[in-house]
Amino acid sequence: MYLLNFLVRRLFQGVIVLLIVTFAIFTLLRVVPGDPVRLIVGGMAPDEVVAQKAEELGLNDPIPVQFARYLGNILQGDLGNSFLRPKSGATVGAAAHDDPTRADRAEVLDLILERIPLTLQLAALAIVFALIISFPLGIAAGLNPGKWQDRLAFFAGSVFVSIPSFWLGVVLALLLSVQWGILPSIGYKGFEYTILPAFVLAIEMSPFIIRTLSVSIAQVMQEEFISVAPLRGLRRTRIVAAHAIRNASIPLLNLFGIQLGVLLGGVLVIELIFDYPGLGRLTINAVLQRDFPVIQGVAVFIAGLFVFINIAVDLAASFIDPRLEY
Amino acid sequence: MADRNIALHVNSLAVGLQTDTGVKIIDDISFELEAGRVLGVIGEAGSGKTVLARALVNGLSEPLVTRSGEVVFDGHDVLKLSDAELAGIRGNRIGYIGSNPAGALDPTVPVGDQIVEKLRSVRPDISKGSATQRVLDVLNAVRIPSPEVRFHEFPFQFSGGMMQRVMIVDALVTNPEILIADNITQALDVTVAAQIIRLIKELRDQFSTAILFISSSLPVVQTIADDVMVLQAGRIVETASPEVLISKPRHDYTKSILERLPRIWGKDITPPEANDAPTLMSVTDVERTYMVRKKGTFRGMNAVRAVRGMSIDIRQGENIGIVGESGCGKSTLTRLLAWLEEPDNGAITFEGRDLSKLSHRELTKMRQSFQLLLQDPYSSLPSRMSVGRIIAEPLLIHGTCPRGEIKGRVRDAMKEVGLDPDIENQLTVGLGAGDRQRINIARALVLEPKLMILDETLSALDQIEQSKLFELFDKLQKTHGFTYIFISHDMALVRKVCHRIAVMYLGRVVELADNKTLFERPLHPYSRALLSAVPTLDDHPFKTRDYLLEGEPPSPVHIPPGCSYRTRCPRALDKCKTIDPSARLLPGGGQVSCHLSDEE
Repeated sequence: MYLLNFLVRRLFQGVIVLLIVTFAIFTLLRVVPGDPVRLIVGGMAPDEVVAQKAEELGLNDPIPVQFARYLGNILQGDLGNSFLRPKSGATVGAAAHDDPTRADRAEVLDLILERIPLTLQLAALAIVFALIISFPLGIAAGLNPGKWQDRLAFFAGSVFVSIPSFWLGVVLALLLSVQWGILPSIGYKGFEYTILPAFVLAIEMSPFIIRTLSVSIAQVMQEEFISVAPLRGLRRTRIVAAHAIRNASIPLLNLFGIQLGVLLGGVLVIELIFDYPGLGRLTINAVLQRDFPVIQGVAVFIAGLFVFINIAVDLAASFIDPRLEY
Repeated sequence: MADRNIALHVNSLAVGLQTDTGVKIIDDISFELEAGRVLGVIGEAGSGKTVLARALVNGLSEPLVTRSGEVVFDGHDVLKLSDAELAGIRGNRIGYIGSNPAGALDPTVPVGDQIVEKLRSVRPDISKGSATQRVLDVLNAVRIPSPEVRFHEFPFQFSGGMMQRVMIVDALVTNPEILIADNITQALDVTVAAQIIRLIKELRDQFSTAILFISSSLPVVQTIADDVMVLQAGRIVETASPEVLISKPRHDYTKSILERLPRIWGKDITPPEANDAPTLMSVTDVERTYMVRKKGTFRGMNAVRAVRGMSIDIRQGENIGIVGESGCGKSTLTRLLAWLEEPDNGAITFEGRDLSKLSHRELTKMRQSFQLLLQDPYSSLPSRMSVGRIIAEPLLIHGTCPRGEIKGRVRDAMKEVGLDPDIENQLTVGLGAGDRQRINIARALVLEPKLMILDETLSALDQIEQSKLFELFDKLQKTHGFTYIFISHDMALVRKVCHRIAVMYLGRVVELADNKTLFERPLHPYSRALLSAVPTLDDHPFKTRDYLLEGEPPSPVHIPPGCSYRTRCPRALDKCKTIDPSARLLPGGGQVSCHLSDEE
């Protein structure tokens, strides 16, 4: 009952958020300078072809009308077709206006679904790496505030947060791929291509996790139920593993919900550096080419992901601590 | 000597600070704890009680460290055992209960699971199933209602008293030879504390455990201990049986403790007498209900009826006490009296004017006349503001005083409450609780109010500071003609200072009487129950075994129909189930709401 109530309430809120986000992106993309039709038909095309194409794509209608049409299509699972990408994959030439018919252009949903598994794989591996790096450092620091473990964690966090990810990516690629040939780094031909970019992302994320974890562990260790636990007969390992980490994981979960934005932003840059064919590279190319349907589709998709993961995070937190009822 | 069965032998134990070898928190502590007996330890805040309790089980944490001595249990010095050896003793053969039940367990895990976890941690041979059964059995033994349900509930779903029962289960589930009870009744209401003491007494006979009962209240220790040690500044200054200690104290410190104990009953007690005076504030049928979302439902709301039909007249120049257990609506009433919240129904009039009918400006002006003094002297003062500025604040807000005169007014107020006016430019950091409350009083005083509402204002202070502030309140009353409302759970305090006392139960006054009548001839069975729970050395007219209640008040969400007290009343009649007794006026100005008193 609680679960159903929670899901209904949060999903309803989520839909509202998504509507607002979609409308904002849709409007912004239409008021920025640059004529997408000219891009599609090519610079040399005569004006009547441009006008005809604009009419065909419905770009002459008022923005609310276009938006309503777009929403209607989304509800049917149609995020529109790319302006520029044909189904074959290659970007169409810029100059020619006798390019393939609209039906041959790739569907945005297909483009996203094709790339999302790779991005999710990258993000998931990055989180695993980040947790492997952060947990020992953060927990040791939280259990020994003011001692060398604390200083080590602080030092590591400061270094990690100061390293620009594009620099680290390039240096690691140079060392591990070019010099030593341990790991591949450019493009994607198999799982091993994910490791290096994921590691760079993990370094970018871990300072926040280390800090949150060490602060919240240190705080929980001050709680009375921890300090009386040995008197009640619990062993130290049990106290830390079953109670301190459990209580400290709630701020960590909340951080994770917020960090998701950082993670997705990081993915964009990292995918570009490593030429990793995920959602990030698709987005950047779409932005450079003013491929509106793709930008919109990706934005709506990411917003949906964001809302969904935050609901999951809150639900998980309320399972850990029943006092939190969202 | 040979037939005495010594459970724990402590030999010149001393605890100091890691950082400073010269400091001794407790020193030269030696005693023997005999099996099946209760050894009481009494001492004031800061005398080293909790340090002693923890040192006995080798449970000190930084920066505390044992300097010397031994604690012999079953032939071994507990202080020299390794962690692995300790694990078989701590929480298993020596149980420990602390003073703050609310913080004693992990808030995110059901209580039953945590006790099972503890039991299996110290007795790994017990299977999970039999551990669960054992926990349920002991939950039953301490009379926690429906233990199967409560086993799966979380700590925040328990009241303080129920949680302390859970902690007793936690300590006794292993059937320990020794139980260390560190101030276990401190955080509880008197009625609940009395229930817990009664329970511990029963359990001692059932489990034949040696108990070290540590408390800051001599009357509490006296009811349970076979012998009492007096702890002063980390040393034992006197040990005797409670009777001897009370009738023939030898050490000066013991004598001073006895002298400072508030007296409640006795021939030589002259309580303040009520006088007739015009009404200053009048509360008529006031109600306040809070709507809170029902857990686990979509749109369900619970109506928490915090105050329901409260009526009371406050006379000019009197001290009126309002007493009751936790959850009886005292805090809500405080907020209503101070007009921080408006009642849903009913009216509060001050000097004949209905507060709800005043305009915003009139209300602000009127507010100068009634001031609220809060309970916690630490959180009620802004920490980054100078003392003088804090006291000047109300004058600045109301703007009634010319700027140039503010400084003088502030200094006068500081002098009047006994603060050194030269600290006006200091911050409050480093000031003690008593001085902080003086700042609070000065802050109210500058507005020249007529009524002061004291919400547990003195409960955070020790006995000495309390009596000093009483004198101050008394002096201010004589010079300014103040009226005081004491909202409190401390019966000894209201006995000492209040002219009239109202007893609240579930958001309503069940009895209102002058001091003498209420304490000596109360009419409502709840008043008697409340009085029976008051710990005192005086000859108690209301014996705990005759009057003390079991359980706790019903939730203000589900108020029983008819007389709301009948579910706990030992003498409830049939008509109490259906007819809500109305307040009956008594000769002498008191009133009582009870069918029984109608018939007597």
